[in-house]
Amino acid sequence: MSKRTALIFGHNKYAHEIISNVKKTYSNIRIFALEDVDDDSPYEVEKFDLSDDWKGIGEDINIEESIAFCVLQDMAENIFLTISLRSNFADLAIIAVALNRESANKLSMAGANKVIPLVETTADIITNILEKPISSKILSNILYEESSLKIAQIKIDTESKLDNHKLVSIDWTRYHGVIILSLIHEDMKSEFIYSKKMKEYVIQSGDILVVVGYENDITEFEKIIGSKRYVNWSHWRG
Amino acid sequence: MLKDIVLDIAYYLDTSSTYQKRKRFFYDILENDKNKYKKFIDIFMIILIFISVAVLIREVKYHVDDFLLFFSNYIVSFFFLVEYLLRLWVNSSVSKIIVKRAEYDSFLLRDVRLSKALKEAFLVKIHYMLSPQAIIDFLAIMPFFHELRVLRIFILFRVFKLFRYAKSIQIITSILATKKFEFLTLAIFAFVVVFISSVLIYVMEANQANSQITSLYKAVYWAIVTISTVGYGDITPVSNEGRFVAILVISSGVAVLAFTTSLFVSAFTEKLDEIKEIKTVEGIAKLKKLYLICGYSDVASTVAKKLSKAGNKIIILDKYESAVSKAIKDGFVALAYDPGSVESYKKININLEKQVKHILCLNEDDVENVYSALTIRSLSKDVEILSLLINDKNRKKLEFAGINKIVYPQELVGLITKELVGVPVAFEVIHELRSEHANVKIDELGITQRIVDNFATVSELDNKNYRIVLLGIYKTSKERFYFNPLDDTILEVGDYLLVVGYSMFIREFEKYLHTKVRSE
Repeated sequence: MSKRTALIFGHNKYAHEIISNVKKTYSNIRIFALEDVDDDSPYEVEKFDLSDDWKGIGEDINIEESIAFCVLQDMAENIFLTISLRSNFADLAIIAVALNRESANKLSMAGANKVIPLVETTADIITNILEKPISSKILSNILYEESSLKIAQIKIDTESKLDNHKLVSIDWTRYHGVIILSLIHEDMKSEFIYSKKMKEYVIQSGDILVVVGYENDITEFEKIIGSKRYVNWSHWRG
Repeated sequence: MLKDIVLDIAYYLDTSSTYQKRKRFFYDILENDKNKYKKFIDIFMIILIFISVAVLIREVKYHVDDFLLFFSNYIVSFFFLVEYLLRLWVNSSVSKIIVKRAEYDSFLLRDVRLSKALKEAFLVKIHYMLSPQAIIDFLAIMPFFHELRVLRIFILFRVFKLFRYAKSIQIITSILATKKFEFLTLAIFAFVVVFISSVLIYVMEANQANSQITSLYKAVYWAIVTISTVGYGDITPVSNEGRFVAILVISSGVAVLAFTTSLFVSAFTEKLDEIKEIKTVEGIAKLKKLYLICGYSDVASTVAKKLSKAGNKIIILDKYESAVSKAIKDGFVALAYDPGSVESYKKININLEKQVKHILCLNEDDVENVYSALTIRSLSKDVEILSLLINDKNRKKLEFAGINKIVYPQELVGLITKELVGVPVAFEVIHELRSEHANVKIDELGITQRIVDNFATVSELDNKNYRIVLLGIYKTSKERFYFNPLDDTILEVGDYLLVVGYSMFIREFEKYLHTKVRSE
């Protein structure tokens, strides 16, 4: 894993959900709260202050290999915390939870790499459940691994069989039981597999394929094309 | 003997489903605003009214075609007569009154007093016949006897019938009726002023040499023209005393006019919200496949906007006026009714099973959502309910309340972060597919009989030519999703194709599926 420590700011329902979902990926989880926390909390919680200069944290952990989750309930405090973290750690990946689109924009401006606008996301999910129940269910199953169907990102390298192949020359829809949805260039822009730009495109090493399929088929696909699954964070930077 | 026959007939009619069905049918087309045929009957009647008034006007100076006269005097009158009799019939049930009396008397172990029942039935019918609307209906039939020329003028009573057919006139009447007392006071005041001033002016002017007010009738005419501030000027006082009376009448006239105007305005202002509500409720009764949102929270507002953008009809119920006005400002149909009260659903007169596609309980409070869901469940067992869950501890309570789908935002945040840290790029691809703003979309295309007739298997779909990825097929019969289906997978009616592609191409592909004709 490229990210070793998860720093979670805020001790609330969001923090608990995040902890239970990322604890497999991050062996080291540190939780920070603005106020004192009851002793019966299942986690060890450190107290912090918005005026902290975070020097201690910078010394304890490798910032470049860490990820921070800003989930304070008060949006003004959450934005201030994000700005404070960003000003101290330029390379820290920050994911922040926003109540709505407005605070989401402010959090992005404050330096969060990724913002989850709560109201919009919930509304999106509800609308999808109502309007496109089947695709919504299938996509949720794929995303949240509730079925054996999975989504994976596979990086093409120089040893890959697909390197230097023209995209249209391959029948993607029937390729070894997996479906290729899109391709991500080195500049980190995602392109749909049937987009105009992809018509004459020749696959290069460094490109990432986003594929959907069953675990065995994805593994098989990796073997055949000689590439591996890859977690890439670099597009979050800058 | 006769009594037995009457009782038998009454029991027969009261229990005969054919008779009751017919009676119900006529009641619906005449009186039930929700009946789809009623408006056609109303329009037909309105046309008849205008035709007969037009004939009356034309007849004053010109010759009217004999057929038109016949039509206005006999055919139209005949229609009105039939309508009058039907209304008299459906207005109350004589058989029901007799049966009720018979049951009552039998219960008390005494002879059935038929005369009492008949008297009661007679009174009910007379009561209806003496109602203003029934009287107007009756007078409108009068031109039937058009040989009596004086009865011709009764054609004008047909215009009053418009009150019955035009809902807006009924609303205006009901609004003005709320100020009955004020209007009565005003009328008495005006009457007193007119009476005193006409007597006064008559006394002052009648004996003046140049005066035109020579009779009490002219004095009353002058007083009314003056008090109404119309003031034709055809009759004017000539003596100083007469002019003094005029000053008093004119001053009173201004007061009467101002009072009348303010009465109209205040009546309408007070009832404005009510009128809007009536109109809204009437509109709701006509809607189908609508989403009913209980509670206008931030999530509800965003969901409503998204659903509305996709062309869905949305009704919002919230017990707080502030939330309702926000919803109305956002352009939605909203009512300040408590979603947790059965009364609210009765008021909007909605058929949850037939009209509602989905009910969304989107309050930011589990207690409110459970309460609303239970209320809805008590009215309908089958309507689909989706609810927000705010505290995970309450999940079971929401399930117990009969909510079909629960959305827990905190859980979503957890799942999203998991994917964000695990497959960040792929997550964004999927997220993008779900977003309404994206060019590339995921969509579900239903398989119809026509598609099955033209495309037997997956291999025939030709989706690749339309630059569309076929993610899989959802087989409704098996309730299973087949990812990346094999070429020989058979398409069946009711299945759904899950496709990914540019919206434009998806639409083209869908069109192609529906229009292609199999070449043999």
